[in-house]
Amino acid sequence: MSSTPIPIDEQPNVLQASIAERRTARRERWKLLRCRPGFIIGSFIVTFWTVCAVLGDRITPFDPRKDRDGLMCGRAPCAPSSEHWLGTDKIGRDILSRIMMGARDLLLVAPPAAVLAIIAGTVLGMLMGYYRGWLDNVLSRFVEAFLALPVVLIALLVLTLSAKSDILDAISFGSRKVLIIYVVALLFTPIVARTVRATVIGERDLDYVVSAKLRGESNLFIMTREVLPNITGPLIVELTVRIGYSIFTVATLSFLGVGLQRPSPDWGLAISEGRDLIIADQWWPVTFPALAIGTLVIAVNLIADSIQEVFQR
Amino acid sequence: MFRYIGKRVLLSLVTLWLLATIVFLMTWALPSDPARLILGAQAPEQSVALFRTKNGLNDPFLTQYWHLIKGLFTFDFGNSWKYPKYDVWDYLRAPLAKTAKLALLALIITTPLSIGAGLVAAKFRDRKLDRVIVLIGLATSSIPEFATCALLAVGLGVKLEWFQPVYSTKAESLSLYGQLQYLMIPAVTMALAYFGYIARMMRASTITALDSDYARTAAMKGLSGSHVLRTHVIRNAIAPTITVMSVQIGYLISGILGVELVYNYPGFSKVLVDATTDSDLPVLQVAVIISAIVYMIATLVADLVIAWLNPRARLELGNS
Repeated sequence: MSSTPIPIDEQPNVLQASIAERRTARRERWKLLRCRPGFIIGSFIVTFWTVCAVLGDRITPFDPRKDRDGLMCGRAPCAPSSEHWLGTDKIGRDILSRIMMGARDLLLVAPPAAVLAIIAGTVLGMLMGYYRGWLDNVLSRFVEAFLALPVVLIALLVLTLSAKSDILDAISFGSRKVLIIYVVALLFTPIVARTVRATVIGERDLDYVVSAKLRGESNLFIMTREVLPNITGPLIVELTVRIGYSIFTVATLSFLGVGLQRPSPDWGLAISEGRDLIIADQWWPVTFPALAIGTLVIAVNLIADSIQEVFQR
Repeated sequence: MFRYIGKRVLLSLVTLWLLATIVFLMTWALPSDPARLILGAQAPEQSVALFRTKNGLNDPFLTQYWHLIKGLFTFDFGNSWKYPKYDVWDYLRAPLAKTAKLALLALIITTPLSIGAGLVAAKFRDRKLDRVIVLIGLATSSIPEFATCALLAVGLGVKLEWFQPVYSTKAESLSLYGQLQYLMIPAVTMALAYFGYIARMMRASTITALDSDYARTAAMKGLSGSHVLRTHVIRNAIAPTITVMSVQIGYLISGILGVELVYNYPGFSKVLVDATTDSDLPVLQVAVIISAIVYMIATLVADLVIAWLNPRARLELGNS
């Protein structure tokens, strides 16, 4: 290490130059991203569902919670018609309205769970990758073992055990949604930690970390102010990928009956409620929520894929 | 080779032990009272205390842990809490066999299909066919399995009437062909979910192999394209794909739960969902441990297959 120390008065320029450089890089990546068809289609669909989630029953054609008085078709469920475009469910609630409203709970739960997993996983992965040693060895074994377990099964176990627990009630403010956020975040933390660990290991021997150490910076400073800004790319990729998986998992949990609870218009729940109608050729209560989940998850994954490709250039 | 197998089995046992430990710690660390959970809030203190003693909940930490680890080798995990007459393992065995049948059928469908698709995509890299295969893979593996299954039940079952849209216990007394009618929709769902992962991996590793020096050398020696593909590229590209297949087994199990429920298939998931509503902790615990064992066996088999295909992997793992 024979780098000459930078005189104090020149430092701001160096800093500004690096900030400008980073800004250019960001602008270029954004330009690349904007012209990828996957990204455009994906963002369009996600925006659509977000608008539905935000506006909810202010834009739905019917009240998604109420069954309709005086149904036009007689007995529920009514097939799709000019009045109920996607038909009604078992008890006569308009499916289109429920699907539009159903985006809300899913989007309130899934992305925060992914964000929480990213935060926890980054902390864990950074400690593992930066310090290495026995801590890393032990934690890595556990992370690998944890990844072998089926996510949904662990969620079933944890959610069963969390029922009627005062402590968990207190930290989740008595809300089922918050509890699900915690559980899904817990499920994804190990996999995020593994990714971050691998990235940090690639960074820790680079010159900028070594020189920070020689400057006598504390480990905490190096991790948060030096390493972290340099791994934001992989973190953003990981976040978008996790949001996709998170939506997938929350929908599955709701379908299995341990996620969002009735009378939420959640899509997974709707499929679970309508599945015994399939055999009677009443396909609409199941088909449309299934398509809704499909479009949202595929859209998020299209975005994730595009971001990944742009960042890997 | 025997040395290698011995080492590999030992390694799996360590993984299994870790997995069981995770399951145990998780159950133990969560701030809940399992006895209260199953007996309800109104149960008298006496019966709660009795339940605790009977099921060893009052035992010291290490004793409880030892019971679980011992169970790994004897398959004696105690009795179900909801149905105390049944041994947990006996209770789970029959549904497990049904689920295994489904999973096997799904693997039989998906393996040749997705490996073939991955190869084709790699060969026609960045052309239209490749884009289509990649997009189909992305779509089929990102939709939750229960949603795909519902769509297939409507499409292939009710509308086209190719297969039975819902399972019925009648199926068990039917001929193989008749049974297939009742298995195809869930099996195809699982096959589709798996397709994306495998085809993507196969595509990526085939591209790496096609770009490699040995493939170029083989082509320059004058070997035909298909010969290079068969003897040089596939052999090398298949190893990471087999690894992905085994590592993704957890996803397969997760997905099968939803599929079985949509299709009303009397497998593992029915039991599990019941156990969740009844807070039947031993059943859930054992279910997680069984899937850990399945994972362990899958990765073990995968590594053995890779070692058999590729002497280099055998050497690497045997020496480490």
